[in-house]
Amino acid sequence: MLKRTLVVIGLMMTVFLIAAPTSAQKVRGVTDTEILIGQWGPQTGPAAPWGAVARGTDLLVKIINEEGGIHGRKFKYFLRDDSYQPAKTKAIAKEFVEQIGVFAVVGGVGVAPGMTARDYLMENKVPWCGPVTGVYEWITPIQKYLFAIYPLYDDEAFNLTGYLYEKLGFKKIAVFYQNDDYGKQGMMGVERYLLRHKIKLVEKISAEVTDRDLSTHALKLKNSGADAVIMWTMPTHGALILAETAKIGFKPQWATSNTLSDSALMMQITKGLWVGMINSFVGELPDSNHPLMVKYREWHKKLAPQERWGFFYYAGIIFAEPFFEGVRRAGKNLTPETWISAMETLKNWQGIGPPISYSKPNHPMDRQGGKHVFYGKVKPDGNIQRLTDWMQITK
Amino acid sequence: MFGQLIVSGLAVGACYALLALAMVIIYKTSEVLNFAQGEMAMVSTFITFTLLENYHVPFEWAVVLTFLFAIFLAIFFEIVFLRQAKDPTVIGLIIITLGFEMILMGFAGWKWGPDQRSLPFPVSNIEAYNVYGLIISKINFWTIVISLVLMFILFLFFRYTKLGIAMRATQQNQLAARVMGIRTKWILSFTWAISSMVGAVAGMLIAALGVLDPPMMMDPLLKGFASGVLGGMTSLPGTAVGGAMLGIIENLFGGYISLSFKSVVAFVIIVLMLCIRPSGLLARHYVKKV
Repeated sequence: MLKRTLVVIGLMMTVFLIAAPTSAQKVRGVTDTEILIGQWGPQTGPAAPWGAVARGTDLLVKIINEEGGIHGRKFKYFLRDDSYQPAKTKAIAKEFVEQIGVFAVVGGVGVAPGMTARDYLMENKVPWCGPVTGVYEWITPIQKYLFAIYPLYDDEAFNLTGYLYEKLGFKKIAVFYQNDDYGKQGMMGVERYLLRHKIKLVEKISAEVTDRDLSTHALKLKNSGADAVIMWTMPTHGALILAETAKIGFKPQWATSNTLSDSALMMQITKGLWVGMINSFVGELPDSNHPLMVKYREWHKKLAPQERWGFFYYAGIIFAEPFFEGVRRAGKNLTPETWISAMETLKNWQGIGPPISYSKPNHPMDRQGGKHVFYGKVKPDGNIQRLTDWMQITK
Repeated sequence: MFGQLIVSGLAVGACYALLALAMVIIYKTSEVLNFAQGEMAMVSTFITFTLLENYHVPFEWAVVLTFLFAIFLAIFFEIVFLRQAKDPTVIGLIIITLGFEMILMGFAGWKWGPDQRSLPFPVSNIEAYNVYGLIISKINFWTIVISLVLMFILFLFFRYTKLGIAMRATQQNQLAARVMGIRTKWILSFTWAISSMVGAVAGMLIAALGVLDPPMMMDPLLKGFASGVLGGMTSLPGTAVGGAMLGIIENLFGGYISLSFKSVVAFVIIVLMLCIRPSGLLARHYVKKV
C-alpha cells in the first residue's frame, strides 16, 4: 500500500515538474491577442499639467490599436493618477505588477515618483521604457530592464550654456532653478560648462516648488548684472519670474529647458513675455510637417479632440514610440528578453523625438536612448523659429 | 536693494493680509479656522475667468457676479456641511473645512483642467510706478490700496454697525446672543458670505499677479494664516500689520540671509508666536474661564 502511494506521489511530482516549465513560459501581460501596459502621471495636484504626457501615450495606443495592433496583438493601457506623490506611485507600480500584471511600464512623469517604483519594477523584471525626466537616476546604476529616452538635463544645460556663450556671445550668465532633482541637474550642467571654461557664474538662484512670490529672486538676478539667464523651473515659476523681472526693468536673454517648450501655454500665462525665449526641444514642433506629426494630428482630431495639441500632450507619444518599435522588432514571441534584445538593435531610430540608440548594457550611456536636442527661439506670434538642427548633447 | 525689498515685501504682504482678513472674519465669529478659504477663493476666481473668457462679460460685471457666486458658495457650505455637523466641536468643524478644501480642489481640476491660465485684469502686472528709484507695479500698488480700504470698511462695520456688534456677540457667547434676540444661524451664514467675498478679492489679485491654476492658493493661504497668527487672529488691523510684517521679514531674509529658506520663515513665525504670544501682536490675550 505504502509502495503504491509512493509511486502515485512520485508520478504526480514528475507530472508537476514536466508541466512546470510550460506554465513558466507564460509571459506576464502578454496573451495571443493582448499586451497590457501601464503608466502613472499626475492628473491632479500642482504637477497636473505634466499629466498630459500620460494621456498623450493613450492616444498613441489607440492609434496603434486602430491600425490593427502589432503582430496581431492589441494593447490595453492602464493610466493611473499618482498626483505626483511618490507614495501613490509605489502603490500604483505594485498594482501594475501584482494585480493587473502588465508586460511593461511606459513613460511615468517625475523623478521622485519614479524613484520609488524603480527598484521594485527592476526586481520584478518589468520592462520600463522612457521615464519622463532626464536625470542620471535611470541609467546609474545601469538596469537591464530600464530604457531611458529623455536627454539628460545635465547635458542639455551644459550645451545650452555653451550655445549662449559661444554662439550668441553672452558672457555674464546666471541660472534660476527649481530646488529639486530636476532643477539641480540643470544647474549642474550650467556650472559644469562654466567651470570647464573657467568662466564665473554670476548668480545662481533657486525657488522652492511651492513659492509664489519671486520678487526677491528677481531683484537678486537683476543685481547680478547677468546678460543671460538660464531657467530650469516649472511653468508657473517661469511665468512668475518673467513678470517680476519685467516689473523691475530687468530684461536679459532668457533660455530654458525643453520642459518649458510648450510655447502656446507659456505665451498665454506670461501674457506675451515669453517672446524671445531660447528653448531647447526634444520633439518636433507642434505644427511640424513631419509625416508622423501630420498623421498624429489627424488621429488626435478624431480620437481625442478635447485635448490641447501641445508639447506636454504629444510628449506622451515621444516617450512611447521606441517601446512599440521594440515590440515590433521582438516579433510574435514577445517576452521581456526578446523585447530587450530588440531594443538593443535600435540605432539612431527616430519617431517624432530625438534619434534613439541602445546597446548591450556595459556602460550607463548604453541605456540612454535620447542624446539630442535642437534649439528654437519664440517668435512674437508664439511660433518657434528653429535655430539649429538636431544636435548631439551627450557624447 | 533694501528699499526695494521693503516695498516688494509690503506688496506681497497685502495679499497675505487679505487672506488673513478672510480667515479672521470667520474666526472672530465662530472660532473656526477655515482651511477651505484658499480653494473657495480659487474657485471664485475661476468663475471670474470663465465669465471674462467664455462669456465676454465686462470686468466690473464679472466681479459683481463673482461676489454673488462667492456668497452662494459660502452659504451653501455653511448650511449643507457645517450646520449638519452632529454635536459640532471647533476641531470637528475645522476638519470639515479641510474636507471641503479637497472637494473644491478636485472639482476645479475636473472642471477647468490642470493647465495654468492667465486672468485678464484691467491693471497691468508688469507696468510699474517708479518713486525715487523704488519700483512698485501698478497691481501691487492697487493690492495694497484695496487691502487697506477693505480692512477699514470691515473695521468700521464690526465696530459701529448693529450687525457687526451682533457678529462679535455671537463669537463671544452664542447662547447669550440668541437669548438677546440675535439670529445666530443667520449671522454665521452672513459671516461666511463676507469672508468668501474678501477671499475672492484676494484670489483675483493673486491670480492677476501670477497665474491661475487649482493649486494657486496653497502657498498664499499658509502665509495668510501666518500673518493672522502674527497680527492676532481676532484683530482686523492685526491682519494688516501681520501681513505687511511677514512680507517684509520674508523679503529681507531672502535678500540678505538665504533665499532657499525664505519660505520657511512663515512657519518659524507661526511656531514662535504660538510659543511667545499666542494671541498675536494686536489682539488682546483672551482666556476662557472654565
